[in-house]
Amino acid sequence: MAERKVIGKPVRKVDGIPLATGQPVFTLDVDLPGAAVGKVLHSPHAHAEIVRIDTSRAEELPGVLCVLHHGNVPRIPYTTAGQGWPEPSPYDSFLFDRKVRFVGDRVAAVAAESEEIADEALRLIEVEYRVLPAVLDPEGATAPGAPVIHDEEDARGIHDPQRNIAAAIDIRVGEIERGFSESDVVVETTCEFPYVQHVPLEPHCVIAYLDEEDRLVIRTSTQVPFHVRRIVARALGLPLSRIRVIKPRIGGGFGTKQEIILEDVAAALALRTRRPVVMKYTREEEFVAARTRHPMKVRVKLGAKKDGKLHAIEMDVLSNTGAYGTHSLTVLSNVGSKTLPLYNKAPHIWFHGKAVYTNLPVAGAYRGYGATQGYFALEVAIDELAEKLGIDPLELRLKNHIRAGETSPIFEKIGEGREGKAQVIRSCALEECIREGAKRIGWSEKRGKRLRDGPWVHGVGMAIAMQGSGITDIDMGAATIMMNEDGTFRLLVGATDLGTGSDTILAQIAAETLGVPVEAISVYSSDTDFTPFDTGAYASSTTYVSGNAVLLAARKVREEILRVASGILGEPPGELELRDGRVVSTRTGKGVPFAEVGHRAMYVTDQRHIIASASFVPPESPPPFAAFFAEVAVDVETGRVRVVKFVGVADCGTPIHPRLAEGQLEGAIVQGIGHALYEEMLLSKRGGVRNPNLFDYRIPTAADVPDIEVVLIPSEEPTGPYGAKSIAEVGINGPAPAIANAIYDAVGVRLYRIPFTPDRVLSGICSPAVLK
Amino acid sequence: MAIKRYHYARDVEEALSLLLAYEGRGALVAGGVDVARGLPGEIEGLIDITAAGLSGISREGGRLVVGATATLEGIRTSREVKAYMGGFLSEVMGHVATLSLRNMATLGGAVVSAHPWADIPTALIALGAEAVWRNEERTERAPVEELYARPFRAIFRRAVLTEIRLPAWDGAFAFEKLSRNAGDIALVNCACGLGLDAEGKIAWARVAVGATPYRAERLVAVEELLAGEVPSEALWEEAGHRAAAEARVGDDMRASAEWRRAVIPVIVRRALERAGRAVMGDR
Repeated sequence: MAERKVIGKPVRKVDGIPLATGQPVFTLDVDLPGAAVGKVLHSPHAHAEIVRIDTSRAEELPGVLCVLHHGNVPRIPYTTAGQGWPEPSPYDSFLFDRKVRFVGDRVAAVAAESEEIADEALRLIEVEYRVLPAVLDPEGATAPGAPVIHDEEDARGIHDPQRNIAAAIDIRVGEIERGFSESDVVVETTCEFPYVQHVPLEPHCVIAYLDEEDRLVIRTSTQVPFHVRRIVARALGLPLSRIRVIKPRIGGGFGTKQEIILEDVAAALALRTRRPVVMKYTREEEFVAARTRHPMKVRVKLGAKKDGKLHAIEMDVLSNTGAYGTHSLTVLSNVGSKTLPLYNKAPHIWFHGKAVYTNLPVAGAYRGYGATQGYFALEVAIDELAEKLGIDPLELRLKNHIRAGETSPIFEKIGEGREGKAQVIRSCALEECIREGAKRIGWSEKRGKRLRDGPWVHGVGMAIAMQGSGITDIDMGAATIMMNEDGTFRLLVGATDLGTGSDTILAQIAAETLGVPVEAISVYSSDTDFTPFDTGAYASSTTYVSGNAVLLAARKVREEILRVASGILGEPPGELELRDGRVVSTRTGKGVPFAEVGHRAMYVTDQRHIIASASFVPPESPPPFAAFFAEVAVDVETGRVRVVKFVGVADCGTPIHPRLAEGQLEGAIVQGIGHALYEEMLLSKRGGVRNPNLFDYRIPTAADVPDIEVVLIPSEEPTGPYGAKSIAEVGINGPAPAIANAIYDAVGVRLYRIPFTPDRVLSGICSPAVLK
Repeated sequence: MAIKRYHYARDVEEALSLLLAYEGRGALVAGGVDVARGLPGEIEGLIDITAAGLSGISREGGRLVVGATATLEGIRTSREVKAYMGGFLSEVMGHVATLSLRNMATLGGAVVSAHPWADIPTALIALGAEAVWRNEERTERAPVEELYARPFRAIFRRAVLTEIRLPAWDGAFAFEKLSRNAGDIALVNCACGLGLDAEGKIAWARVAVGATPYRAERLVAVEELLAGEVPSEALWEEAGHRAAAEARVGDDMRASAEWRRAVIPVIVRRALERAGRAVMGDR
């Protein structure tokens, strides 16, 4: 392997300086003359029919430009989920509907000259509701006689609307009953994940306006600019060609910006008023009316032989998708498809479940995408199985986890809302990850020792996980690279850097391939008018999918450069190589700088722009792997849990930019610790969010971050760009189960419900089973 | 909010006259933390008192006098405060909110807002702090504890809190707080103080618990239980259990009454242990 000059090096983040110096890079950092403010009227009821809506008083208020509601917009069913094609989520949403289905649902929207006027206008809209019985409990959603949430006739793609089932799955491998009857040891456990919110620093925000050619421009904080264009076109009945979506820098998304939350409304208001319309959600609206992780109850049953070989796995999922089925099927599928292959030794598998509608906040994509919920249950169950077998949980995992060269039938059985595709694991350093993590946490020294420090009792726990790298045969990334006459390059990608650093990663891939430093590549992402297509930043796809597209485009550009240089140097392209911004003859050592190549192509001989585009569709989705180790201390008198140390060791193939990869892993771990210890959206008896702010809903702060060690164990993924796989999501799958298992090691309390609050931990410690 | 005017008061008299002139439609603002959380709709005028000369911190004998607009971080880092009661009040401030909020929030704001979940009222009640305020007629004063037993919000609609006076105690205090994460409000808190007589018996005790989730209260029965006794682990334990029995405890969305009842003995015991160690260390 040739020595790499850019890949694997912590180069400066290409957008670091503008971000750090506060340049106007975000969606709302620009002011458009004449911009109006858009605001949404949210439903106060969990389930109600709008009997009458009177907007006349609001419309008469000076400064109000328009009021939109179900009575004055076209009725077109669509999904707010920004996914590929065919869209796997049901078309169960409308711009505005005659019915509201959760507290926070859209009733109407106003455009006005100022925020104050818009707020006042919302108050002046008179709505008469006929309140309907509501489904506030996922368990009861499918019961006979339960209120039907989606009774509209024009919705499409709902699995069973009459029973409030948005999506369902049932996958069998082998014979599950036989599997359990042949097992020597069986454990069964049910774990619950509550409503949690992404809490991106920048809430959803958008500016929509008509340009000089009367085309609709949507400048928005999104992970999926091309899906925004397609979905808004559908929702508003516009030709796609009339819409341009601009994605500037994004202040975090974690999945919530894989949704069309405000773009459709802002666009409708801009079209109606013919004025630019600015919309942004408040933090409260983010909690109430954006998206959440799918709350789930996951039951896992494991059967194993005496020697610890897993023999049967059943996973039964009840997912709560809230009032709309966005990502309902695919998140549900991922609970199994991203977890079960990890333990590929079991010949008997039954994965089944459903995603049900409730009159509660709407769930959607959230980093980990179902795998996080699945791993919480699976990895707690593995810990219980290890105990029952009398085997160290670390050894049990080593005995059962997938290795390079192996496969799992699940890959073929479960895909993106449809059947999957067989896949062999080509790179896997999980075993090394486990061993390295164990060493760093002090697994053998600390486990089972219950070291005491005053009231604090220490314990260690672990979990392992995998994810994917993009969506097989569905995702697509494209890139265009053009050479400037001074020998530098412009890289245009539809890929969506939402703060992950992917623009830098893609620039590194181009730079390495073209033999230039990263500084010679200027990256632009993304604008549906000017950058090539990309499905967007989700499913851990950008480095692998868009990265491969950049690699292919860069290779084409390299060929072009060699051809031109061959004319200058008088040597065949095969004798030439690209090195340090020059084309050099391997035979004579003579070279020509890129600037001369660019200038010649642009102005002198055989004139052409050296430019190339390439697309990449992933034929497989190589999983990154990770091992997680937590050392916790539990205050046995109060139930407080402190994470003393956390070790995350991951195999993401070749880390293109180790520092950024570590940042992804560390950030995901911190987010996972938040899930484990404090985050939970509390709901009122009427279905409203009781803690829609960061005073009541706690997320980890810098002061809460424990001693976290993140380690990358490289592997070489042959299908990845320069051997790379993904790293964005896998890190969030481990903290909850690792911490739950560590608490068990410390105090003998099994926690099956997140978060592990002092209240819950102490009541576990005080339970008769533990006290004995 | 319908704020129409923002005034900078140069002194207490001006602040008070403005406040009275608004007849209930004006509000004082110092750190602005609670103003940012939302004001009643009828408030039209804000009267900024940060330049009214109320930010001083001084020692008068063993006593500590803190101006109403002294910031919490200013208090935490003040040399005078660190020298008062072994730095107890400085330690308490370290538990309150985050640095950025402490740079804004003021002691007067904390006393007047008197959030049930707050840490400062618990500490002030245990310390026997006295509030001083100016109204139309005169300067008045009352222990913070007593103030909270009165309709104090009505008082401060027509008065300017000027300072908090903290008495000297021959002994030591300790503060305990349980919360979810850094910068969070208390799920429950307590402040305990002790002094010993010449024979090593407890001469006086002060015990207050707060965020139960109700506003801080002094537990006199626990103080009486402690007085005259010889410090011991068993005594702290007993006092803790008595505190849990005496305290008014309830559920809120952060924690259950059951859990609060279970941990009050623990935090009271821990605070007494630490105060006890400090007192005996002094000897």
